Amino acid sequence: MNSSLLRLVLVLWIGIHVVPQGSAAGTNTSRTIPGGIHRPVLRGPDDPREIAVPAFGLDALPVTNGDFLEFVRQQPRWRRSQVKRLFADENYLRHWQGDLDIGSTNAQVLGQPVTHVSWFAAKAYAAWRGGRLPTTTEWEYAASAGLRTAMLTNDPAYRRQIVTWYSTPSPASLPPVGLTPANFHGIHDLHGLVWEWTSDFNSALVTGDSRGDTGIDRQLFCGAGAMDGAARDDFPTYLRYGFRSSLKAAYTVHNLGFRVAYNLAPYTP
Amino acid sequence: MKPIPFLITAMILAMAGCSPNPGSTTGVPPCCRPALPSSRPLTDRSIYHLESVWTSDAGKTLPLSHFRGRTQVVALFFTHCEFACPILVNDLQRIEAALPAEAREKVDFLLVSIDPTRDTPKRLREFRAEKSLGLQHWTLLTGAEDDVRELAALLGVNYQRDARGQYAHSNLITVLGPDGEVVSQLKGLNQSIDELVRQIVTTHSQP
Amino acid sequence: MKPALCPSKPGTLGVLAAMALAAALPLAAAEGPVTPGEPRGAAAKGVDRTIVGQENAVLSFAPAVPPPIQRTNATKVVVELEVKEVVAKLADGVDYLFWTFGGEVPGKFIRVREGDLVEFHLKNHPTSKVPHNIDLHAVTGPGGGAASSFTAPGHKSQFSFKAMNPGLYVYHCATAPVGMHVANGMYGLILVEPKEGLPPVDREYYVMQGDFYTQGRFGEEGLQAFDQDKAIDERPTYVVFNGSAGSLTGDRALKAKVGERVRIFFGNGGPNLISSFHVIGEIFDQVYTEGGIKPNQQQVQTTLVPAGGSSIVEFKVEVPGTYILVDHSLFRAFNKGAIGMLKVDGPENLIVYSGKEVDAVYLGDAATAGTGDKVGQLQAQVQEAIKTDPKIAGLTKDIQIEKGKRVYMQTCFACHQATGLGLPGVFPPLAKSDYLMADKDRSIRTVVKGLTGPVTVNGKNYNSVMPPVSLSEDQVANVLTYVRNSFGNSGDAVSVDEVRKVKGDVSH
Repeated sequence: MNSSLLRLVLVLWIGIHVVPQGSAAGTNTSRTIPGGIHRPVLRGPDDPREIAVPAFGLDALPVTNGDFLEFVRQQPRWRRSQVKRLFADENYLRHWQGDLDIGSTNAQVLGQPVTHVSWFAAKAYAAWRGGRLPTTTEWEYAASAGLRTAMLTNDPAYRRQIVTWYSTPSPASLPPVGLTPANFHGIHDLHGLVWEWTSDFNSALVTGDSRGDTGIDRQLFCGAGAMDGAARDDFPTYLRYGFRSSLKAAYTVHNLGFRVAYNLAPYTP
Repeated sequence: MKPIPFLITAMILAMAGCSPNPGSTTGVPPCCRPALPSSRPLTDRSIYHLESVWTSDAGKTLPLSHFRGRTQVVALFFTHCEFACPILVNDLQRIEAALPAEAREKVDFLLVSIDPTRDTPKRLREFRAEKSLGLQHWTLLTGAEDDVRELAALLGVNYQRDARGQYAHSNLITVLGPDGEVVSQLKGLNQSIDELVRQIVTTHSQP
Repeated sequence: MKPALCPSKPGTLGVLAAMALAAALPLAAAEGPVTPGEPRGAAAKGVDRTIVGQENAVLSFAPAVPPPIQRTNATKVVVELEVKEVVAKLADGVDYLFWTFGGEVPGKFIRVREGDLVEFHLKNHPTSKVPHNIDLHAVTGPGGGAASSFTAPGHKSQFSFKAMNPGLYVYHCATAPVGMHVANGMYGLILVEPKEGLPPVDREYYVMQGDFYTQGRFGEEGLQAFDQDKAIDERPTYVVFNGSAGSLTGDRALKAKVGERVRIFFGNGGPNLISSFHVIGEIFDQVYTEGGIKPNQQQVQTTLVPAGGSSIVEFKVEVPGTYILVDHSLFRAFNKGAIGMLKVDGPENLIVYSGKEVDAVYLGDAATAGTGDKVGQLQAQVQEAIKTDPKIAGLTKDIQIEKGKRVYMQTCFACHQATGLGLPGVFPPLAKSDYLMADKDRSIRTVVKGLTGPVTVNGKNYNSVMPPVSLSEDQVANVLTYVRNSFGNSGDAVSVDEVRKVKGDVSH
């Protein structure tokens, strides 16, 4: 038996054991990410090695076409024909057929992660759902979990899988959400599906300014080298920081979506 | 142009620009003067679509659209900035000084803090005094963290707080036309401002 | 100085005068108006009066080179380059997702003249997964242009630079993680010709070496993924010219005619390895070491090309034949793909090279076929190979032919050629070969134990040496099945048992 057959069997086996959620609008559940310590991979020499992340809520799945359709039904100013260029560029929802027409009623298509949405649109959706976008730290913290362990660094097989995603071309049609295995926190699709907006995506400092003003952007360009990176072989993290740095708030990209985070209700005795 | 005749002309013009005219609002910063009326609807690309509400160093709360009607030169900064912001503010002052007098009358400067926790209106007032920023044309604003993030994202300014309480941030000067569209931007510190000045003059002179 | 408008202090006039002076000086010093609508690049801020006119750059895919520049003035050159992530062949049966400048590896060759103003338009195709940018080693400025060209998928950016320094420079993507972007093929060459141009030659070629890191082994088929551990450990799976094994062999070989002067612009994209560039059968008349603009060395056999560097070599071809381009770190050439060809046609020059003398190769104790020692060694090797390779017992002949073809292309073609025609006078043909088809056991023996001494194939005499080929029994059976059913041959399959029997037979 050759290795590609083995791979297929493995994928099917994993697929059978993962119950797809959120393939239709409204079944996206959120999970609590417990508070903890995040060790950022990219940091300047003056930045802390550890950041305390308080517990927060995070949707288990990215926002889907179906979810977003419901949103624009209720909020006309976010429809494709009505949105202002200030808040979304010309490719906003270009993969849809019309303002309120995804182009199919097929559950598969409704369940695809919504893409071609700008940061403003994502923020507006999150607010509409009573939440917000996760911060970059929160997102990276949630994504730093392995499948069965809290730390991805202890899960080399899964890490390899993540790197492999970057070696495959973008599919012409995205698969529906929920097919990748849930990680330790019960969150799907943080790797291997789409890039995701964060509330402070513009904190990664790669702007073409003179290098004198910050430590982080020195790391993200050729000359900068890996002097300050905490894990220099963590290519996926570098790729994610790089991707976020290339974005502007009104950009829409074919493989960029988002998910909603929530502040947890304060404990009242 | 030969420097000497220009010098004399500039002196005369500068003096003329300085004399108070009837109805002048010297002494009242732009935040607290009435907003200028406009009959045109905003274009799709105007920053003034943002609905966020800000507080000026004079304590007045106002939306950004209050500044509609005049060309605005905008920069994001914070008062505890040790290195970059003093140069940035100086760059804005250089621009102000470089404008021909008639343009200088119609152009305002807007400094927005990315450190709202520490940059209260009182702190901003202190900063204004430290830097001698003229009341006629300069506004300093503070606002909610989310709103600051949103405005920064819109203008293309990236920033992040580091462990020492300093902010690492990109340095960007933005020129907004009277209707809030981005006309020109200048990246970096201590750059040549000639192109930006030229763009301001062109913008201001358009109807 | 902190200017304040309309100060009410005395000395107003003095302050005003100082202010006016400060205001006047920058304005007076400003260079003249810049045309509105021009991009806000650094170059557009000033006006460079040495630039005359504008043209679109002629770019070329390797191994072609844009024509030498004829004009004698500096001009504005507009370069449009699109970044695209494409799946393409890395080796026979092996696919890879390359990140490319222009759709191929290496990226397009850019040719400008010293003093030109280059306006660079970088576009990132909407299907790209990640953002990209470009760092041209020819640029003097922050990041070599990297900061100004950082582009998200589905967007484009633009910047300008003045090509102040002549030379042959590498360009590459510099987005983090840089090693991965370069390992995926994001590099190319930009030539800034000196003002006086380069001396004319008859042929110019563009060859760029790169190392590739795949999760699968060398030759493992299918879409291969990037292996970051191998990349960090600097253990490439493939080392190739122009983006794939075999890109410059067979009918894609470079060409020249006897008597021509050939110039190769040779680049090394890396990301890791230094190259020892050598053309078998030739000596470089001139080497512009490390891509500088002076031909500072003559009569060079093998030249070092740093990772992220280049070299220009020139030589005159005197004798017809096939010249092999290699990285002289030999296992890269023969086991990882760092091999290319230059085919030279034209009349023989028997004084320079007779072409009929063949060096005797010293084979040690395998020279007289099969002493016990050598056979034992071979058997041990084969047992080792069996442990690591899957069994193929029970496969059909078609599959054998398919697999045999891969083995052929990796091992046999270098001598017997992709056409099976061999090299006249040197390596016998396999195509319609009477010698091959007459005796199956003998053909197995030839592969497994080697062959020396005179043979007659299709009426022609050959007296070369074929060393024993180190293949597993499966591979021997497959490649012989392939050869026996290709190039006009038709025969039955060869089985693993038959191979084993021949190997165990110590009488031959």
